[in-house]
Amino acid sequence: MRMLPKRDLAAELIDVKWFQKAPFKKEMTLDEMLEDLSKSSDFVTYHNKRSAISYTIIYFASIIDPAQLHRNVLPKLNECEMKSLEELESKIPIQNLEITSDAKKIQERLMNGYLAVRLSNDSNVLLMDLSLTKSRDLSAPEIEFSVMGPKEGLIEDLQTNMNLIRRRIPHPKLRMKQVTIGTVSKTKVIVIYIEDIASEQNVNTVMQRLEDIDFDIIADSSFLGQMLEDNSFSVFPQMIDTERTDRITGHLNYGAITILAEGSSNALIGPINFGQLLVSFEDYYLGWNIASFFRIIRMFSIIMSIVATPLYVAVLTYHFELFPSKLLATLISSRSDIPFIPVIEVLFLEITIDLLREAGARMPSKVGQTLGIVGGIVIGTAAVEASLTSNILLIIVALSALASFTTPVYRMTNTIRFLRYPLILFAHFLGLIGIALFSLFVLVHLIRLTSFGSPYLAPLYPPRLMDWYDSFFRLPYVMQKKRAHFFRTEKVSRFLDKKEKKRNSLDFDEQ
Amino acid sequence: MENNRKKDLLVSSFLVMFIIHSNQVGVGILGFPRYITQYTEQDAWIVVIITGLIFHVFVWMMYVILGDDNEDIIDLHKKWFGSWIGGFLNILFMLYMLLGAVIVLRTSIEVIQAWMFPELQTWIPAIMYLLLTYYVLAGGFRTVVGVSFFGVILPIWLITTAVSPAKFSSFTNLLPVFDHSLKEFAMGIKQMTLSYLGAEILLFAYPFLKNPKKSRIWAHLGIMGTTVIYLIVMVISIAFYSDEQLQQTIWSTLVSWKMVELPFVERFEYIGITFWCFVIFPNLCLYIWAATRIGKKTLHIKQKHFSIVLLFLVFLACVMIATREQIDMLNTVTASIGTYFFYIYVPIIFLYSVIRRRVTR
Repeated sequence: MRMLPKRDLAAELIDVKWFQKAPFKKEMTLDEMLEDLSKSSDFVTYHNKRSAISYTIIYFASIIDPAQLHRNVLPKLNECEMKSLEELESKIPIQNLEITSDAKKIQERLMNGYLAVRLSNDSNVLLMDLSLTKSRDLSAPEIEFSVMGPKEGLIEDLQTNMNLIRRRIPHPKLRMKQVTIGTVSKTKVIVIYIEDIASEQNVNTVMQRLEDIDFDIIADSSFLGQMLEDNSFSVFPQMIDTERTDRITGHLNYGAITILAEGSSNALIGPINFGQLLVSFEDYYLGWNIASFFRIIRMFSIIMSIVATPLYVAVLTYHFELFPSKLLATLISSRSDIPFIPVIEVLFLEITIDLLREAGARMPSKVGQTLGIVGGIVIGTAAVEASLTSNILLIIVALSALASFTTPVYRMTNTIRFLRYPLILFAHFLGLIGIALFSLFVLVHLIRLTSFGSPYLAPLYPPRLMDWYDSFFRLPYVMQKKRAHFFRTEKVSRFLDKKEKKRNSLDFDEQ
Repeated sequence: MENNRKKDLLVSSFLVMFIIHSNQVGVGILGFPRYITQYTEQDAWIVVIITGLIFHVFVWMMYVILGDDNEDIIDLHKKWFGSWIGGFLNILFMLYMLLGAVIVLRTSIEVIQAWMFPELQTWIPAIMYLLLTYYVLAGGFRTVVGVSFFGVILPIWLITTAVSPAKFSSFTNLLPVFDHSLKEFAMGIKQMTLSYLGAEILLFAYPFLKNPKKSRIWAHLGIMGTTVIYLIVMVISIAFYSDEQLQQTIWSTLVSWKMVELPFVERFEYIGITFWCFVIFPNLCLYIWAATRIGKKTLHIKQKHFSIVLLFLVFLACVMIATREQIDMLNTVTASIGTYFFYIYVPIIFLYSVIRRRVTR
């Protein structure tokens, strides 16, 4: 049992020990194992008696490459007079050859598309890699769309993904470490980091937590994300799921760690802080001033998206007098026919929007567009005309739904939508004070939250002014001399500081 | 000298500025001008400055008392006076901290009741605040400091609202300057002390600073920040209200927020009070945190369990205090305890520590 790093009460309650490995060992002999495997119909055991020394080839027909088998293996097996596996090993033109008698290892290899050759009934077998992987072609990122910048997204094939990343960072210190996780799925998981830049402590934390995971299936990297998180009670993402290779590259360079999983087209990036959830990688392709402006807009849109409808509830339930009389008149006239109290009215519309969104996400894209029209225009207009909601509320709800989609990280969008509901209820019961109290709760939660042990609200709290150059706004690259303190990197400087900068002493109209 | 405590528990030295400042500014700022102008009328702003300067002296004294050994006042009491008398002093301190927490919580709920929800039962916001406080305490001192940091940063923009009443003020109200006797000034300073209370949190927070010796300048800056904010509020209050008006207005700052005009907002004080929740909260957390530290070190009860007991006590006290008169009385009591603490206890223990260190050397 490993010692967990210092954790808070909430995390202690649902300790990660649930997913930790228990010691488990059961030995099988080679023959038992083969007999067991032969219960599958795609398992092939071909015994050839006609050659000089009789041999058996064993493989899963569904996962090996038949072309390679016929071209490179079978001819060699039949033409030569081989006496031992070692001799055969030297003749077969395939990489990844090995001789072993370890039943468990043989089983593992067979399951991964290896072919085993066995002479008479020798306990040693020769394993060769004939695996065949089918995957789709590269395509543009679909979730994290961008106008500028590379249109290259990860796909489900691990080898391709590793290739994409290493091609972007041909650095000798780029490390890729493999861990196999999942008692059923045996998923290959790759941890990627740059050795000099990423902090050793973070790497160790990630490796340790990954190795301790005991779970049956890892269908996607997001499974790992939830098991690695510091506080799995939190609704805030503590790692970024991304499919953009440029984003991965950027974060690796800052000192973050990336985790890839076989069969998943999303990589996980950590540690992260709250500010990074506002970062679209496109920000780095635009000018710094434009990018900063958009980040601030995103920040406001998050706040507006969470707070807009609760404010409506609070003000119309308790604090009419907050509004100037002219505005109040408009509001009242639009609400005069509505039979519900504000909270019901708001919940009705908010849930409608969420239904639309859920339905849209599950529908094929062609039907999805129709759905948008039906939902947005027909239901919206009809609800107002039937005086179920006021049209002012319709505007507010639509705006806040729109604002929630400006967040570049998909998981954060969900968080925003989720947070709105408790806030609406608090606003209903305690008005503005309810909103303030719930905001305080979220604030305290964020102060306490960590990502791989790094504070979530950094560089805001604990305050580190040096890290601010790339958080809620972005300064020009010239001013991004240092990597953020947040990643605890040892190699701080990003480029040489040319101290003897030329003073700009020229006046206007001079050269 | 570097601090040897476990690094993860410490906070940067400059944060002491936010700790002190956030613990000083609380409900008092919403209504303090009335109490000061009772004695010194238009000269009240001078009282603000003088009291601020006096507190700079107190901060200096506290640093001398705390010395170089990364000990808080709880350890020092025990070391200097033995576990019985020291323990007794610590318990007194704990009661004082609890009183601070009660008064902050109850007065802030009173503001909410008076301005926004006249029908609201006291226990509802009280229980919410105290549950939140437990959540903060469970996160350790770093979280407490985080709350005080944001308790200063988030509502700081409220200071800009002073512009609106300023437009309707006549600053000639501030004249004539120095028109009161020393005695009147002294009375004003005594009243003003209540608003400056809270700096004593330094005595507890000190060993949690990464570099306590270097934090001195930041502690003084914290006091200075408080003085500046109080000064702005005081000057605006004197200039905006006539003397009789001010005497009749309990929450003068709140009322002056009525002058704020925004296209969307008619009654700005609602928004002000909403943001005020962020100002109140650090006071509560810091006071109860300090009380749990005393419980841990003197009574040897884990902070984990003791905080629940304390929160429950604070809750009971808050619910039992019902009327405006009781709240006012509680304020007066706390003011006099705080005054005795700073003007008598701190100088005495300051002299004691100086003499004792001379002798032992």
